[in-house]
Amino acid sequence: MTKIIVVTSGKGGVGKTTSSASIASGLALRGKKTAVIDFDVGLRNLDLIMGCERRVVYDMINVINREASLTQALIKDKHCDNLFVLPASQTRDKDALTEDGVERILDEMKAMGFEFIVCDSPAGIERGAVMALTFADEAIIVTNPEVSSVRDSDRILGIIQAKSRRAQTGAEPVKEHLLITRYSPKRVEAGEMLSYEDVQEILRIPLLGIIPESESVLHASNQGTPAIHIEDSEVSEAYKDVVARFLGEDRALRYAEYEKPGLLSRIFGGK
Amino acid sequence: MSKNQARKPLEIKISTVVAVAALLGETDQDKLSSALAQVTGGTPDYFEDEFTVIDLAGVLPLPEPGTIRWADLIALFRSHRLNPVAVRNAPASLEDEIRAQGLSIDGMEQSRTFELTPPPSPPKQASERAPEPIPAAPASAAAPAASSSTMIIDMPVRSGQRVYARGGDLIVMATVNAGAEVIADGHIHVYAPLRGRALAGASGNGDARIFSTAMEAELVSIGGVYRTFDEGWPKELAGQPVQVQMKDDRLELSAIALK
Repeated sequence: MTKIIVVTSGKGGVGKTTSSASIASGLALRGKKTAVIDFDVGLRNLDLIMGCERRVVYDMINVINREASLTQALIKDKHCDNLFVLPASQTRDKDALTEDGVERILDEMKAMGFEFIVCDSPAGIERGAVMALTFADEAIIVTNPEVSSVRDSDRILGIIQAKSRRAQTGAEPVKEHLLITRYSPKRVEAGEMLSYEDVQEILRIPLLGIIPESESVLHASNQGTPAIHIEDSEVSEAYKDVVARFLGEDRALRYAEYEKPGLLSRIFGGK
Repeated sequence: MSKNQARKPLEIKISTVVAVAALLGETDQDKLSSALAQVTGGTPDYFEDEFTVIDLAGVLPLPEPGTIRWADLIALFRSHRLNPVAVRNAPASLEDEIRAQGLSIDGMEQSRTFELTPPPSPPKQASERAPEPIPAAPASAAAPAASSSTMIIDMPVRSGQRVYARGGDLIVMATVNAGAEVIADGHIHVYAPLRGRALAGASGNGDARIFSTAMEAELVSIGGVYRTFDEGWPKELAGQPVQVQMKDDRLELSAIALK
């Protein structure tokens, strides 16, 4: 059975693409045949973060318009053998993203035996974002611990409830997960950021994980390597926890509480 | 895939929309213009292209045909981002010129009685505008009547969502988040935090009330009288069990003793 996962947020710049790339990579690292699709027509980013931008020949719109086959457009990831990237078009008009076209691609992927299809949603609540969530079985809502991001996440949850195929056909609702990114326990402690409990209290959906704020995310995207591959970093560990929980494993919540630096780490400047 | 067969080119369904009513007491363009400017306080996006029903009930004496400059009136509303779609309580002699402007005639009175008759008939009181059969003893009296017209929502009402219990009460068993809107022609009960907007008695019933077990609403309104909470809720009521009711045309906020 193929599971379609939408990674969405409403607000831009909260870490959707970073999370899509790392979660898709994490699923592939766990041996699952996975595809990750960039729905951000006109502003493609996923291929950059996945480090495959120079190998893009055909994109999703080409496949929708039957100018290329799906196998031609899918790019094999450089880190994982069982991970494939379907890039967005940089030039085309968003209207080219049709519901029938998207459904056809997803059906074809199901037939190819993908276990997980991760849909990286664009920001906003326009067509691209709606298309990304329409066919979802599960939704990962990426939220930063600040009020406007939480509000937009709330909005997108409402849209999932209204516009997803599952909602419209009265099937079992889309399963919702909360992923809090760019979390800084220190700033929460200082009262500069909402705590994860605050965010959860407003959104009221199960918490899938917390990704700490970290420089390594920036380095990773600049290098075209999903952050989950940066070994021994907190971010990588956090994403691995997220993937494990997504697959039904029990993992204790890490990076949520602020620990004052101890004497040794202060002396040696450890991070 | 059989899904495509199901898609028809056109479907017509009954749909409820929420509109603002502009109650004119005057048809003079200049006076209306300054009144609107006063309402909006010069904020260009005070309204956001809301559907607007122009209500002429308050214009006395009844306007004669040809005396209202509809095109200018519509332009005035549009300039404040109100989008006139219909006119209600217009004398029959004006209906042709109103329709000529592309506006509908809102036969609200008929449709309202139509809608409110199906539920068990209210106690035979003379009062025309007492659709709620709850004069004195709310809980006991309402119970049998409520069942048919009460809407119950079990899911959170999220930002951008709007729930309207037409012709009855609304009960929400999950949070109403900031940016969401819950509306009822009757009472509104929220057994969870109420952080959005709540409008009870939406078709004019000033006896409606709003209840929440954790009140933090952005706006409450009863029978069209509203109050916002720019400065937050009074400390002793914020996040607490609170009811809102109208007394002497003012909204009164009071704590509910749950224990």
